Amino acid sequence: MTQMPCGYAGDRDETLIAYLYDDIDPAARAEFDTHLATCEQCRIELQALGGVRSTLARWNPPELKSLVAGSPPAVRRSWWREIPAWAQVAAALLFLGVSAGIANLDIRYDRNGLAIRTGWSTPPSPRAQSTGATAPIGAASQSNVNAASMADLTALAAALRAEFRSQRATLTPGAPSPRTFAPMARSGAGDTEILRKVRVLIGETERRQERELALRLAQAIGEINAARQADLRRVDLSLNRVENNLGVEVLKNKQSMQYLMRVSQRQ
Amino acid sequence: MTWTDEELVARSISGDADSFNELILRWERPIYALAYRTIGREEDARDVCQETFLRAFRALPGFRGQAKFSSWLYRIALNLCRDWLRRERRAPVVQAPEDVDLMDLAASGEPSESIEDLVARKDLSRAVEKAMALLPEEQRTAIVLKEYHGLTFQEIADLIGCPLSTVKTRLYQGLTVLRRELAKNTAVPKGPART
Repeated sequence: MTQMPCGYAGDRDETLIAYLYDDIDPAARAEFDTHLATCEQCRIELQALGGVRSTLARWNPPELKSLVAGSPPAVRRSWWREIPAWAQVAAALLFLGVSAGIANLDIRYDRNGLAIRTGWSTPPSPRAQSTGATAPIGAASQSNVNAASMADLTALAAALRAEFRSQRATLTPGAPSPRTFAPMARSGAGDTEILRKVRVLIGETERRQERELALRLAQAIGEINAARQADLRRVDLSLNRVENNLGVEVLKNKQSMQYLMRVSQRQ
Repeated sequence: MTWTDEELVARSISGDADSFNELILRWERPIYALAYRTIGREEDARDVCQETFLRAFRALPGFRGQAKFSSWLYRIALNLCRDWLRRERRAPVVQAPEDVDLMDLAASGEPSESIEDLVARKDLSRAVEKAMALLPEEQRTAIVLKEYHGLTFQEIADLIGCPLSTVKTRLYQGLTVLRRELAKNTAVPKGPART
């Protein structure tokens, strides 16, 4: 079957391209739409050129290493730079305050020395710490120690070790009863207790990390401000030096001019 | 707050170096892509890109804002590309290596893309580069500006300094050559026309 020749009245190639890129006025588009309905040649060519465009779209140049050496992209620094220093410090202090509030920070200084306590749970009793027994951390006590103390960790480690030993013993035929090895009761309540302690310890660790982060943030802000101040001072000094040099040059020029004028007047 | 190009230009003219850096960060990729697709050599395209910003910086006090900053930048880059092509007295060089490094491909691809897809994509890129290298400079420039930078016919005509109808003719002729060349090397998708 032979293809009918295109009988489009206007500049067919230009209109085809304008139609292909949709950069065409609506009247011309409507007219070409009508033409397309009857012209197979234009339809085929339009489809083929559309295919070429799809292929072209998959050609990407290699990656470019930024020409601005050592500069982070502006979008990442702009928000930070535009906040004034006092607002940055205020934000850091606010963050610290909120963190301390969340962590229920309790700082005491008495005859026992300085004590910092965090967390919502009450500290373990002195008896439990001294014996290393697995007394619950939540037991009522006013001891001024860190909630996740070494004694807690030791007790928890001992309990976990005993738990693992008992599990192993259960799996080993002929092994002694788990109760022989376990200092803690092998009950659901015991497991719950361990889980609770682990959760408390994890909570404490997370809060401590948050506080450290806030502290480092505040330190970093301080350092950045100090560096900026130092840079400004250096720039100021350099400007003064340049101004001085310029002043000297101007003075010299003025003296030369005066000398020339004197000489010319004498002549 | 995001500054417009024109605001950044004004700040650069008054001596704010950061503003000009911002302009570079904003436009370096499009200018590099334009240079790469026009001259076809990675290193030279980078040099052209660098030179474009250098010239723009020097000429900044003379920038009156009669055109968009991007159009002004494109014009500088296109002139530099034209100079390069004339100096080299040759068509763009296709730099694609003959052997495909699968490790490089894997590193550059999308996580979900298989090695077969990556190789096919690389082959397609190479075929396009080869076909584009066959086009006369004017046709290639028109295609690059329209296809990859989304300029209108009128913007291209203003940029190149030729009538609107010439831009369309160059595009038609260029795409027709590409259609023929790509058909030799690849299976051009038969999908509906993109608009």
